[in-house]
Amino acid sequence: MQLVINSRGSYLQKKNNCFLIKNDDKVFEISVKKVDSILITTSAYFSTDAVKFAVDNNIDIIFLDHFGNPYGRVWHSKLGSTTLIRRKQLESSTGERGLNLGKEWIICKIDNQINLIKDLRNSRAKKGKILSEHIISLEKRKFMLTKIDGSLEDKRNNIMAIEGMAGKEYFGALNYIMPDRFKFDGRSRNPAKDEFNCLLNYGYGVLYSMVEKGCILAGLDPYLGFIHTDNYNKKSLVFDLIEMFRILIDKTVVYLFSKRKVKKEYFDQIKNGLSLNQEGKAVLISALNETLEKKIRYRGRNIKNRNIIQLECHRIANNLLKQK
Amino acid sequence: MLVWVIYDITKNKTRSRIAIYCKGYGLYRVQKSVFLGSLNKNEIDELSLQCDEIINKKEDSVYIFPMCDEDFKKVKLLGQAFDKKMVKDEVIAKLF
Repeated sequence: MQLVINSRGSYLQKKNNCFLIKNDDKVFEISVKKVDSILITTSAYFSTDAVKFAVDNNIDIIFLDHFGNPYGRVWHSKLGSTTLIRRKQLESSTGERGLNLGKEWIICKIDNQINLIKDLRNSRAKKGKILSEHIISLEKRKFMLTKIDGSLEDKRNNIMAIEGMAGKEYFGALNYIMPDRFKFDGRSRNPAKDEFNCLLNYGYGVLYSMVEKGCILAGLDPYLGFIHTDNYNKKSLVFDLIEMFRILIDKTVVYLFSKRKVKKEYFDQIKNGLSLNQEGKAVLISALNETLEKKIRYRGRNIKNRNIIQLECHRIANNLLKQK
Repeated sequence: MLVWVIYDITKNKTRSRIAIYCKGYGLYRVQKSVFLGSLNKNEIDELSLQCDEIINKKEDSVYIFPMCDEDFKKVKLLGQAFDKKMVKDEVIAKLF
């Protein structure tokens, strides 16, 4: 299970073969065998014993800031796999080969978006017409994308532009089905201006750390991207790959709203926007874990949503290795 | 597999040792000398070997009972009950 430390001033330590979490008078003891990852979302203390214990047992400790962005992680200091994968990754990251890989990821993202809107349309007969229009224009964008060819350097801006337009279309459709109280106006970050973006940003933050972990375990270099350009400390590959998995967060958040599980009390007013509070984080993280734990049919196998990320990263790494 | 570990041990040191082993394998304390949780076959073997090594065979006893899911559904809990989802490993995220 995922251990989430969400109450201020908690203390994490090791005791025998267990993690012990203390806060004021509350104590919780859990065997290392039952923990997959530790998420720290608030100010907390922990002992170095506990850190070593986690690292030894392949449990990663992730620190999330106020907006859900991971600002650090404790993880072993090894590469994860062979450097050959990184060499191949670098070779493939330019030219036509890079373009095709990048295109594949964005097309996957748009397909996911179309499928979600189709799902939403099924249960909303009255709104079907307008949702269908959104689907048609998303299909158009996808078609435009498949037509692009040439080298990645020349076409990078084209791809990004189409992706941006598709995103606008998609969020327009999602806004259309939102309950009136929670309508939003496009995407907003740092800080989010409305409840929808607030939940989405926090969810994406959690997802970033999962994708980064997937890259490292598969031996891919998280900083060597295809579509996203290089920059100081920019995890370009994580930004590239996350596009395929954003749907997991989108679905979770949309259904939280449509099942009327979101309350105004989950958000705190901050300067220029909103932030998710302790109560809200708890609701989002447990909903997210339910989604991740769900099994779906994927590439001919029954697999948990959580493991798709790792599977895809390994698939990319294996394909890179196969290339001459 | 769901497993109950029930023990009766005279020496304090041995008793607390057994409790530590049980917790280490991810069992939950449902009563003072009763642990419950999901283990696989290897873990059950390991735990029983470890317990076997430290107990005094003339006085102490440790029982390890597996239980099937069907029977677990019929379990009746009165008074202070334990968390059924927790012992069956169905809790995906624990927020603290």
